[in-house]
Amino acid sequence: MDREVRMIGRLALFLWIAGWMVAAFVWAPLVPVLGETTRVLYFHIPAAWVTVLALAWSMGHSVLYLRRRRIEHDHHAAAAAEIGILFCVAATISGSLWAKAMWGSYWNWDPRETSIFFLLLVYAAYLALRSAIEQEERRARLSAIYSALAFVTVPFLMFVVPRIYFTLHPDPIINPRGKLDMDPRIRIVFFAMLAGFTGLYFWLQTLRVRVARLEHRLDES
Amino acid sequence: MTGNAVVLGVSLLVWVLLFFYLWRLDRRVKELEKR
Amino acid sequence: MPSNGSNSGAAVWAILRKECRSEWRTRYGLSAALLFAITTLTSVSFAVGRLTDRTDMLAALLWVVLLFAALASLSHAFVREVEGHTLTLLRLVASPTAIGLGKLLFNLVFLVVIEAVTVPLYLMLMGAPPPRWGAFLALLGLGSLGLACAATLIGAVISQTRGRGALFAGVSLPLLLPVLAAAVSGMRAQWAGGPIAAEARLLGAYAAALLAASLLLYDHLWED
Repeated sequence: MDREVRMIGRLALFLWIAGWMVAAFVWAPLVPVLGETTRVLYFHIPAAWVTVLALAWSMGHSVLYLRRRRIEHDHHAAAAAEIGILFCVAATISGSLWAKAMWGSYWNWDPRETSIFFLLLVYAAYLALRSAIEQEERRARLSAIYSALAFVTVPFLMFVVPRIYFTLHPDPIINPRGKLDMDPRIRIVFFAMLAGFTGLYFWLQTLRVRVARLEHRLDES
Repeated sequence: MTGNAVVLGVSLLVWVLLFFYLWRLDRRVKELEKR
Repeated sequence: MPSNGSNSGAAVWAILRKECRSEWRTRYGLSAALLFAITTLTSVSFAVGRLTDRTDMLAALLWVVLLFAALASLSHAFVREVEGHTLTLLRLVASPTAIGLGKLLFNLVFLVVIEAVTVPLYLMLMGAPPPRWGAFLALLGLGSLGLACAATLIGAVISQTRGRGALFAGVSLPLLLPVLAAAVSGMRAQWAGGPIAAEARLLGAYAAALLAASLLLYDHLWED
């Protein structure tokens, strides 16, 4: 029963994202300035959103690990950091392509580009740190400390820096003023994709955690 | 309009492949969990 | 664990004094760091020559030199304890937070000493136009605070891993990049005669956030 529910959920996720993809092309109108590149919006911003979500998830579980010392939290923190990097790369690449189309060059150290690149480095360092410690408990504890400290950079890089320096990039993620100007159909597709990406993220997250749990069991036996 | 159709087709294809890859991974993990 | 109000200022002060004294006894860390800073400075100065009219370059290179000097030396405070097997003893007499804060203050003093030597030398060698001292020192201070906060906690983490030295620079540098970016753009504005308030606030807020997170995390540094 439980299995069937899960299967249906996954199929629904598949159809949901595929359906809104089609809708992005045939139903939603284009933003005048952006032209045909409007559709990058439905990929780029959800990817950036999942990045922040995953990194916050990683930080939350790191803090939980430090308090409760259950290895399960470490699995969650590591998995979330990995997936966060993955989506961060996706957001960076799509953003770079979009920049080429709109501003004329792939990479120009715009404050947005700079800060997302810093973010990638910060979490790459997290993975480097993990790989340098062999003892399981120690790895979990030290990387939890690093992850909690690293999350301090996230609000600065994602929200503060682009507000202070001049950037070509439009306001990030949550911005009621900017979004209100949008055509309602664009908004619907956008939020639907946001939900779809979030669902995808949680699927990936549970999968990665389950794999980590299996590896853990294998190590113990 | 054909350009858009190509882009849509490629995106859908990528999503289908990704989905089936994850689906298979999920089943494999489930098998291993039973053991 | 220890009896005490070892979280108190007295314990922190005692750690700081102990650090300074043991550093002063050998001067191993300080001389290595100064040598490193001066070597970096020399190679930069030699490679690019005098940059009297390129204050944007001056700002960037100054922070690169300082960052290198800091990365080469700031892990020292904890690594020394681990290598000398004195950490256990230290933990018997003070709480993790007191140790962390003491080391943080020590690293800050350490940075100030390095800067006191490097910065004047840099300004002279590179032929820099006179800075606006108030803005210049404020940026230097806030930048150093951020540097010290991040480097102290990461140093404590790194001292418990294998391959400490190599890992320290790689792991702490990403956390320091925001400091570097803000400090460089502040320095540029300082030389160009523009306002530095935004950068100073950013540096201050970042340092404060790092400090607050560190204070919460020091407690978990060691297993009991």
